Amino acid sequence: MLITGIKSRPVYDRLAPMASGLRHLAIAQGSGGQPMLRLLADMTPAQRGVATVVYSSESFTGNSYEAELRAVDGIDLRLCASNVEALQVLDDLLSTAKMGTRLYLAGSEGFIGTAMQRATEYGLDRDEILREHAGSFVRRVWCAHCNAYTENVTQRIFRCPGCGLDLVVRDHYSSRLAAFQGVKADGEVPGELPEIEELDT
Amino acid sequence: MTPTAEPTAFTTDETYTPEGAYTFRNSREGVRRLPFPFPDDEYMYSMNLEPHVPAGDGAMRAAFDIDEHYISECHHRAQMLEAMPGVHYLALPHMMEAQWDLLELIFESYARDYPEHFTLTKTGNEWHWQNRLLGIDDTFTFGDPTTLPLEPMEYATRQAQGEFVVLEERDNDLVIGAGMTTQRADYSLRFNLGMRFFEFHGPVPKLHEMGILDRALKFLLRMKPGHPVRRVNWSLTVNPRLETSVETLPEWAPDRATVDAENAGERVYLRIELQPLHRLPRSNAIVFPVRTYLVSLAELVEHAPDWAKRIHRALASLDPELVDYKGFHRYHAAAVAWLAQHDDGAPLATGYPWAEGGIQPGD
Repeated sequence: MLITGIKSRPVYDRLAPMASGLRHLAIAQGSGGQPMLRLLADMTPAQRGVATVVYSSESFTGNSYEAELRAVDGIDLRLCASNVEALQVLDDLLSTAKMGTRLYLAGSEGFIGTAMQRATEYGLDRDEILREHAGSFVRRVWCAHCNAYTENVTQRIFRCPGCGLDLVVRDHYSSRLAAFQGVKADGEVPGELPEIEELDT
Repeated sequence: MTPTAEPTAFTTDETYTPEGAYTFRNSREGVRRLPFPFPDDEYMYSMNLEPHVPAGDGAMRAAFDIDEHYISECHHRAQMLEAMPGVHYLALPHMMEAQWDLLELIFESYARDYPEHFTLTKTGNEWHWQNRLLGIDDTFTFGDPTTLPLEPMEYATRQAQGEFVVLEERDNDLVIGAGMTTQRADYSLRFNLGMRFFEFHGPVPKLHEMGILDRALKFLLRMKPGHPVRRVNWSLTVNPRLETSVETLPEWAPDRATVDAENAGERVYLRIELQPLHRLPRSNAIVFPVRTYLVSLAELVEHAPDWAKRIHRALASLDPELVDYKGFHRYHAAAVAWLAQHDDGAPLATGYPWAEGGIQPGD
């Protein structure tokens, strides 16, 4: 079973103001607050004046940049307690977004991936979006057998909360599902599991 | 086009599932017409693309090959689609034009290459399709999905042998936009839908390092309608099971642990994939069909002894990384040991069997 070498994992960017933007929509989670602060500092006052920042303080590592973001002058800041809430706010903002909107995403892979799903639904092009990964590389995993999604997976083998099977996380990422692939780890001989290892998260 | 020597006798009731007791069998003629994928004693990846022109009177005779398993394979597809809706057939919403392109390509090809079984009559956009093998006689308006009982791609590919993956061209890349994949080998259509060329080839070892993918993508992007190309690929599988998706891995992976050097001839099947790629004229999409053939090692020995010798040598010398990727690490040695009994070491011709001077099945 092939589980090494990730060719499908997204390649991330470094957030920087996109000069072509007429509106700037920036959404971050947890450690993603840090690149967001840097992005805002790199913006001109005029760009900050047309920027909306959505920040979720939910974090796997416990890092929060809420206080620092509050201290930035002249931005429209929306604070959320959870990633789900932040994504809902993003959805609402995208539903009324106009041409010239530029999207900035920062945070965990699962968060960026699910935000990308929303952006794709609203027809944003890849060149209208920048993504910067921050914090832990914990994985969001899709179970191929029961269709359940599990957030924050750190081990190569884990038990699927959906179907109870022990899954091995393959190094294969689907942008459409915003998740890595999990398949039954002891598929060939029950109980014969591959080596348990920390994911190169 | 050369006519086949004898009309094909279709087996209508064979099965590809454990529930159906795996009654799939090949006739002698069925084996000897296969697109045998080992031109040399040693196997290594290559792009091995060639123009898809008629060659010989076997699997390379028609644009889309059908054989004695056509009817049972179409029945199997219908069963799989019914058993797991939304898993084996998916099409992104903007792929409708490519769907019609594909329907046209399949129906025109079948009607041209097998007029005894299929007839397509066009009066403007009013099309009359007759499929005598499956007892289908329908009229519909080309381009109007409301005149068909199913989406055009699903309608057409339920009447076709092999898988069909449609790639849309976007930003000098090829993206999976639709698929009919009831026979896929250890991947998930739901997972792969929307992936770019390098992404969906991600798990295949060596390709990236060898630069094969770069060259393949450049080549495919230059494809023109009316100039299809083909390649063959292969793997091994246990039992004549067509549906080996990631989703159902818990059902079929245990079979891999049942093979030993005594039963390998009956249990282990060579899975040949004939992939004739076509550029589609209206949508500019590329269809990537995977026509899958199953043949047991014992059937090869009985009906095509030289091919059995060749596969013995190719498997014995196979790169361990490919053994691992193709998923037969657990029974590779058993298969090689079983085949060794049937290889006298005699020199064999090189080249594909459909090429001039290529390896023939033997007597």
